[in-house]
Amino acid sequence: MDILVGSLAAGILIGMVLALVAIGLTIIFGVMDIVNFAHGEFLMIGMYTGLLTAQGMGIDPLFTLPFAAVVGFLLGVICYYGFVKFLLRGPMVAQLLGTFGLMLFLRNVALLVFGSEDRAVHSGILVGRSFEVGMGVVIPATKLAAAGLSVVAFVTVWMLMNRTKVGKALTATALNSQGARYMGIPTDRMNALAWGIGAASVTIAGALIVNFWSVNPFVGLLFTMIAFAIVALGGFGSVPGAFFAGLVVGIITEIPGIWDFFTYTFNLDWMSRVPMTSFKYMWVYLAYFVIMVVRPRGLFGWKY
Amino acid sequence: MKRYGMTLMVVFGILALMGLLMPSPAPAARVVKIGVIYPLTGGAAAAGRELRAGAELAAEIANGVMADLPMTMAKNSGIKSLGGAKIKLIFKDHEGNPTLGADLAKKLILDDKVDGILGCYHSSVTKTVSAVCEQYGVPMINGTSTSPALTKRGFKWFWRTTPHDRWFTKDLFELLKGLTEGKVRGVKAVPKKDIINLASACEKTEWGSHVSRLIEGLAKEYGFKLRKSLLYAAKAADLSSEVRSLKAARPDVMLFASYTSDAILMVKTLKAQKANPKIIWGQDAGFEKPEFRNTLGGDIVGILTRTVFLPKVVEIKAIAGKVNALYKKKTGNDLGGASARAFTGLQTWVHVLEKAGSTKPADIQKAANSIKIPGKELVVPWAGIKFSTSGEELGQNVLGSGLIGQYQKGKDGKVGLEIVYPFDVSSADMIFPFPGY
Repeated sequence: MDILVGSLAAGILIGMVLALVAIGLTIIFGVMDIVNFAHGEFLMIGMYTGLLTAQGMGIDPLFTLPFAAVVGFLLGVICYYGFVKFLLRGPMVAQLLGTFGLMLFLRNVALLVFGSEDRAVHSGILVGRSFEVGMGVVIPATKLAAAGLSVVAFVTVWMLMNRTKVGKALTATALNSQGARYMGIPTDRMNALAWGIGAASVTIAGALIVNFWSVNPFVGLLFTMIAFAIVALGGFGSVPGAFFAGLVVGIITEIPGIWDFFTYTFNLDWMSRVPMTSFKYMWVYLAYFVIMVVRPRGLFGWKY
Repeated sequence: MKRYGMTLMVVFGILALMGLLMPSPAPAARVVKIGVIYPLTGGAAAAGRELRAGAELAAEIANGVMADLPMTMAKNSGIKSLGGAKIKLIFKDHEGNPTLGADLAKKLILDDKVDGILGCYHSSVTKTVSAVCEQYGVPMINGTSTSPALTKRGFKWFWRTTPHDRWFTKDLFELLKGLTEGKVRGVKAVPKKDIINLASACEKTEWGSHVSRLIEGLAKEYGFKLRKSLLYAAKAADLSSEVRSLKAARPDVMLFASYTSDAILMVKTLKAQKANPKIIWGQDAGFEKPEFRNTLGGDIVGILTRTVFLPKVVEIKAIAGKVNALYKKKTGNDLGGASARAFTGLQTWVHVLEKAGSTKPADIQKAANSIKIPGKELVVPWAGIKFSTSGEELGQNVLGSGLIGQYQKGKDGKVGLEIVYPFDVSSADMIFPFPGY
């Protein structure tokens, strides 16, 4: 039983963080209809920001979130004004290839600056600590904190989108950018804001994730893929959908743990031979595929 | 008087002329060229530096006379049976690239006309280089590549001094068996049922997946239950589901084959998940690297790793201590697994040439196939060097053995490796069970 509960708990915790990773992608898509392939690279930059600020200033990685947020926001805004703005004039395919190019660019800049080796946080208030919640279920403190802070960040973004005037302007831009412009909403600035918020949320997620994942310049791709799966599942452009789908995907990545539960509960030898952990992301992509075929607009999708 | 003077001058003159014309009484010492192919730049450059220094030191000892060193090759200057011929090493850098390695081997053979090859550290490079040597019929001695497949190809021009991964993995099972029989220093016999359940996690390239298969086979052979055996990507940034899966199997012994960053991540994750098996064992590589110790510090006390050479060997084996002192003078570092084995590789070359008394490939081949170097000559803790000449494995040294070390806190508070296997050279009591982090 401890195996099952432990896996589900781990899945839900990581799911909350993944939801924060995905929200940035969904905001940018919702407002501008641009699929940002460089999303995982933003996350990677967030991870390096968290790691290097923590090491450089000698503070705990958890307190680097404001730095990551600022770096992310600036990164998003600079990317918009310096690059994406020009892509908007071109056809859809130019936007796709453009962000793909941005991904390659950021990744190789990181490779040049940081080198290819893995780096990880080895010290911190929570690093290496864990709680035993009974029944042999162990929850690492870093993951609990990351999940909790993810939820806080997620709610903040949601409030911003739904309870403020800026959020209304963003939504208006998302629904009908030409109409919004006629109503006096500076859509160009709204687009930049969407990129800023989207990038900031994912760099915050990066600074949280670096507490328990090691970082190298190539780490982004995995998260881009997962974020795509989450956004597809939750519906492109839907913020609550991203949260819900994040939890689902988090639990999907724990299928190997659930498999282990059945293996050892029923003591089935053939089940223990299946290398489930090697395929843990396969289920995520499979879910992505199924959603794309069965319900392309996702569970909560409102666009299209 | 004058005539005497003239005669003397003539005699001197003739003597002087004769002196010029006559060949010197000792013929000009010829040179034996050995091509050495190592990763001197690239990812394994640090290992390459060690390897190079180890081989160079062995050549210096062979070419000079060091009376106080109880080694045959230190007694003569150069190769005695070749009229004191000196060893000349020609270094080439393969950068960890098998194709480049093969090209360099061709160059050494065709342009530099080397008499033999030593190298190459990476099993993948050794594979291509030895294929070139086989093609040209040039003898090659390998001191540091541990993929078992290398000596299973039936090559006639390839000899390997280092034990390979099967031996190392077997050592572990010998240690487990020794635990149940009370042979381990400082530990009373442990009932087998207490350590019968194993779980392994190996990285999934050729090396790790091979070790994984070896563990599976040997577990069966020694009567242990392998409850879980999984492969993971060494580049993985998160191993928590792997660790939970290992934990779910409730193993007494956890076995790993990991490179550096994943070994560190694995132990960190084990700690975060409070996984407390009775034994944690790593198959060298990551578990032996200085980064592993520096990053994890006191958390690794009690963890076992297989290895080929430890600083502790120097304390037990006098000859290793003497060579270590020379090596330290040369490089500022202690001998390590790479340098000690490179040293032994070149030493084997010297012995083979001495026995062959010729640089003809056929004579070298004959000498290598019949050589027996006793363990007391070697810096590594082996019974000696003797190559198998028949059966499944050709050219493998059958007298090699590995070590299993355990991280323990020394008197100075520093964490270092103590030898726990082989039992007769153990340097400290084994900590059993694993004390936690």
